[in-house]
Amino acid sequence: MDAADRSAGKVLAAGDPVAAMKAMRAARRRRYVARTDVMEVLYRVYLWALGALFGLAFLAGALHEVPAGPSAVAGIRVHAPAVIGLAVAVLVLAGLRSGARGGPLAIEAAEVRYTLLAPVSRRTALRPAALQQLRVATIAGAVLGALVGNFVFRRFPGTALEWIGSLAAFGALVPIAVLGAALLASGRRLRPALAAALGLALVGWSVLDLALGRHSSPATMLGDLATLPLQHGASAGPAGLGAGLVLALLAVGLLGIGGLGLEAARRRADLVAEMRFSASVQDLRTVILLRRQLASEHPRRTPWLRLAGGGAHPIWRRAWQSFLRWPVVRIGRVLVLAVAAGAVAVAGFSQTPVLFALPGPLLFVAALDLIEPLAQEMDHPSRRLLLPLPSAVLVRRHLLAPAVATGVVLAVAAVAAAAIGGNPALALGVGAVSLVPCAFVLACAAAVSATNDPYEFALMAPEMSQAVNFAPLLFAAGGVFLPLFAAWKVEGGDGARVGAAFGVAPIVAGFALIGVAVLTWRADKRERGAM
Amino acid sequence: MSGAIEATSGAVDTPPLVAHGLGRTYDGYIALGSFTVEVAAGELVALIGPNGAGKTTFLNLAAGLLEPTAGRIEVAGQPPGSLAARRALSYLPDSPVFYEDLSVAEHLEYVAALHGTEGPTARIEELIGRLGLDGWEDALGAELSKGMKQKASIALALVRPFAVLLADEPLDGLDPPSREVLFDLLAETRAAGAAIVVSTHRPDVIAAADRCVALRDGRLAYDGAPDPAVLERLFDASELEGA
Repeated sequence: MDAADRSAGKVLAAGDPVAAMKAMRAARRRRYVARTDVMEVLYRVYLWALGALFGLAFLAGALHEVPAGPSAVAGIRVHAPAVIGLAVAVLVLAGLRSGARGGPLAIEAAEVRYTLLAPVSRRTALRPAALQQLRVATIAGAVLGALVGNFVFRRFPGTALEWIGSLAAFGALVPIAVLGAALLASGRRLRPALAAALGLALVGWSVLDLALGRHSSPATMLGDLATLPLQHGASAGPAGLGAGLVLALLAVGLLGIGGLGLEAARRRADLVAEMRFSASVQDLRTVILLRRQLASEHPRRTPWLRLAGGGAHPIWRRAWQSFLRWPVVRIGRVLVLAVAAGAVAVAGFSQTPVLFALPGPLLFVAALDLIEPLAQEMDHPSRRLLLPLPSAVLVRRHLLAPAVATGVVLAVAAVAAAAIGGNPALALGVGAVSLVPCAFVLACAAAVSATNDPYEFALMAPEMSQAVNFAPLLFAAGGVFLPLFAAWKVEGGDGARVGAAFGVAPIVAGFALIGVAVLTWRADKRERGAM
Repeated sequence: MSGAIEATSGAVDTPPLVAHGLGRTYDGYIALGSFTVEVAAGELVALIGPNGAGKTTFLNLAAGLLEPTAGRIEVAGQPPGSLAARRALSYLPDSPVFYEDLSVAEHLEYVAALHGTEGPTARIEELIGRLGLDGWEDALGAELSKGMKQKASIALALVRPFAVLLADEPLDGLDPPSREVLFDLLAETRAAGAAIVVSTHRPDVIAAADRCVALRDGRLAYDGAPDPAVLERLFDASELEGA
């Protein structure tokens, strides 16, 4: 340590525990700032700003600034608050679940060991970390909301100030609601089952609001806030009440923060530290495994359905045994992702084709769960090499069951699009003709991602490593984007649109073949390397 | 060990550490089952048992790092995790933990200040000198060897006042001279009136203890004098070093 570092420690000795804690944290902050490379930070800010500028310019060009018609405005005015509220309710459910497992704070192991075991009020000790997390999330949410508001006011009734203001407030309040719920659950040590029940009750309430056209759920009230300029002031009361309830939730969460269980905090501290390291080297597979541990997401002891005995097709059978042990939460997550993909595809047809870029990544995340049997095989190379067949063959055979399961997920997305949009024939038609190639692209992309070695190209060039890590996501996004875009682009009736989607199926299938080739090459290479 | 006990509270007649019917299960697996023990002031208890017997679980329960699923435990008459219990109990874990950006000396200053150590500078210098940490005061945790980390962790446990000391395998990674120093420090702590529980597999620690509490499969297997004959009957040589 240099002289400056040594002198930083002198301020640590203090008269009382709280002063000692504050002095230590201040010294650490000063040290962090002193060690930060200003030019490096400026360069990163410059890159982010440049990226954001290009992104905004692209969006501004892609989004049509044609004002929405009266019927569209009326429909959004009636349904949007409940739809937005439902999304908020799902996020609050996630927050409650995280809180019941020790979230949302990720406290250093040393902080648990020394500060939280010292005779210092834990509320005082934990509040700064909670407020910092809130500050970052709230500002990010408000900025994002304001950006969306900047685009929305050009299409819908209401001034720029009204839309930017209401959506910025909404964007700020959503993370407050989620973090407040998480803090409440962790501070009051709610059992996971109780936290999930409370979250599901809110989701159910929001679903009822959507079905009955009511605005009674606190989450729907936040939806009122997001669409305030459309409501001509009629929803100002509920919106204000919703905001008040969110702030009250935060206050209760912050007041009870000292009740955080150290057992959960320690476990979370260890897992989050590992996750951060894995994320820093873009090791997505490890991040997924750690995230499952963090969420206590374990396979069921008893499968949903026991497969009949039989020695034929062991790889196919092994994969389905894995799927049939999925916990409820994983099934729910994949279904939510499928429904969200279908909804975004519908929005792409009605609003802007830019949105077609989103269903692919959403379904890719679902496919990462579905590729688990293959991923486990690749996690254990010594076990794999003991099997009486070449690794490449094993990998290819492992693709079939996840591809079929991904097809089921795509079917759910198509049905959701049919139910949400006004044209079920088009949604189901496009879904049917693109289901097989898209399923294989998504399964292959997930397989390539799950079998990535984050260090394989890291020594050659970090950029190459990043490109390898992001390629599966891009292929998945492109594979789902193409049929949707083709169906949107072509003029004519539903038949012509479905035909256009079918026309690009060979290109999508080509993506899948590239994935299979990469997996084969990778498996052969690793097998040769192990011999 | 001057000034090690003054800051603690609790009734004079109450043993500083009391567990009654204490239990901890994980999804049906019993890590510790119906464990009852009392440790008096000035008593050194060796907590022994094979791996997975429940020793660390008990220490973590006493420190407030785990929640019991049955029974109760009190530190200085208070539940673990309460302000009084945190003031009274010092925990030396089996794996040292450090802030990555604080030096050994800064850790010691911080912990001493958190717990209101009187004359912290002298106490820190004494511990650094006796534990052989001279020259390593400005080192970060990541720069320390396993043995040095253990020494720093011991210093952190002893730099503050306490009535109860829990030590999980404290001799791990220490060279013979450092072990002697630790024995001396434990003896001084005991003489100053602290209740000490040391989880160990080592016969030299068992021999130095006033009492031996043995666990097997989460249950109390023995509670009495550290009698080698009894311990040999209870455990295989492979389960307990030299017993």
